[in-house]
Amino acid sequence: MSATASHGGVMMLPSPSRPLQHQRPPTVTGSDMFRVRRKEPRGLRLVVAATAKYKGTKMREEKLSEMIEEKVKEATEVCEADVRSEECKVAWDEVEEVSQARADLRIKLKFLNQDPLESFCQENPETDECRIYED
Amino acid sequence: MAVSTIYSTQALNSTHFFTSSSSSKQVFFYRRQNNRRFNTIITCAAQQTVVIGLAADSGCGKSTFMRRLTSVFGGAAEPPKGGNPDSNTLISDMTTVICLDDYHSLDRTGRKEKGVTALDPRANDFDLMYEQVKALKSGIAVEKPIYNHVTGLLDAPELIQPPKILVIEGLHPMFDERVRDLLDFSIYLDISNEVKFAWKIQRDMAERGHSLESIKASIEARKPDFEAFIDPQKQYADAVIEVLPTQLIPDDNEGKVLRVRLIMKEGVKYFSPVYLFDEGSTISWIPCGRKLTCSYPGIKFNYAPDSYFDHEVSVVEMDGQFDRLDELIYVESHLSNLSTKFYGEVTQQMLKHADFPGSNNGTGLFQTIVGLKIRDLYEQLIANKATAPAEAAKA
Repeated sequence: MSATASHGGVMMLPSPSRPLQHQRPPTVTGSDMFRVRRKEPRGLRLVVAATAKYKGTKMREEKLSEMIEEKVKEATEVCEADVRSEECKVAWDEVEEVSQARADLRIKLKFLNQDPLESFCQENPETDECRIYED
Repeated sequence: MAVSTIYSTQALNSTHFFTSSSSSKQVFFYRRQNNRRFNTIITCAAQQTVVIGLAADSGCGKSTFMRRLTSVFGGAAEPPKGGNPDSNTLISDMTTVICLDDYHSLDRTGRKEKGVTALDPRANDFDLMYEQVKALKSGIAVEKPIYNHVTGLLDAPELIQPPKILVIEGLHPMFDERVRDLLDFSIYLDISNEVKFAWKIQRDMAERGHSLESIKASIEARKPDFEAFIDPQKQYADAVIEVLPTQLIPDDNEGKVLRVRLIMKEGVKYFSPVYLFDEGSTISWIPCGRKLTCSYPGIKFNYAPDSYFDHEVSVVEMDGQFDRLDELIYVESHLSNLSTKFYGEVTQQMLKHADFPGSNNGTGLFQTIVGLKIRDLYEQLIANKATAPAEAAKA
């Protein structure tokens, strides 16, 4: 059984630090910032940039980061008294919960190109949360 | 969607009459001929949902395991459209993934007041979990609560339609015995402490609130509850994916190269464990050599029967990393019982998600294989349910 791939070439698989070389063909290309709003045919997926698209999502990202800072401070204080106390356990569990939520959002945006507000904003484009975020 | 199977094509006439049993969705035809009764059973089987449990301490709805699993069935899993943007649920054509955090009985404030972590069973409503999983399994839609991880509150429920495959993912899928009995297959993702620490560093170090100390303290503080409530579930799992630091590099504490063990219970219905070369034997295999050149630190496989919490298991273990496509194909071609539909399917699935973490090591490989095993289990279960009513009773 031959070990070499039949097409003769070698393709690099990514290690955690290196991104994949080849790109998946995008379903729709075009700059989101300057896109004219029109009805998308069903089933067509937009390729969104790997950062927050809507203001609401950006706000959520920032809020989560702030919460992490706050809760870490809180947990450190609470645990000074007694590291084995219930309050200490709960405080660090909250830190974990919020850290995970922050990471989930980052992964959604980065790997999946999904802004969680996408479908909400399709229906309600005029709300403040659905303003397109511009860096 | 109802599937009706017809076993007789004879026309109805006065010698035929039927009764229907609405609870079992079966229609019985009785035909009298020469004083002998012939019973023909026509069964309209309501869609039977296959339920998979996944125990993992890595949040819900985003885990790469879920993505790989749903991808094996085709289609991307997405949050329900038009609903709560903080919903944890993922829906694809065939599968619906429910996050068990949605069954928290206490929200963040409530837990703080009572002094319980999310890991504690007292923070979770197992009665509701059981009722709803049971309902979905029988083909009944449910209004499932939503636990909002951002606000820490319990939001208004969302309607969940019974899918073909229901995956319940979270901290306690196998904790409650009644829920456990509903599971057709269960998986436990067992991350060792060193690897957990390394992963959480990668996850959190970019956050300005965190430091090495805070990450460490958080893991330590959660350990007692984790060991008391979550860890014991692994004895019930049909498959355990154990993630450990590599043995190929001395003193590797970066957690980048991993040793991953796929522990598969023997004797589970519709589940045939993966093996290397010779089923039931003990094999140690380094694929790198004359036919295959690997870069440092290489790849090492082990396969052996073993005992795990008094159960007979088979264990396939991979230590190291894939660096090239041909390494992956080479390894795939030597593993048996993969439940693939064509040669190279594992490799293809891995490449589809090559940008996901774990794509170059045993975590991605075994998650993909478990995904294929679940597909195999699903197809066998469905085929079995379709042929079961084919026994026409003759009186």
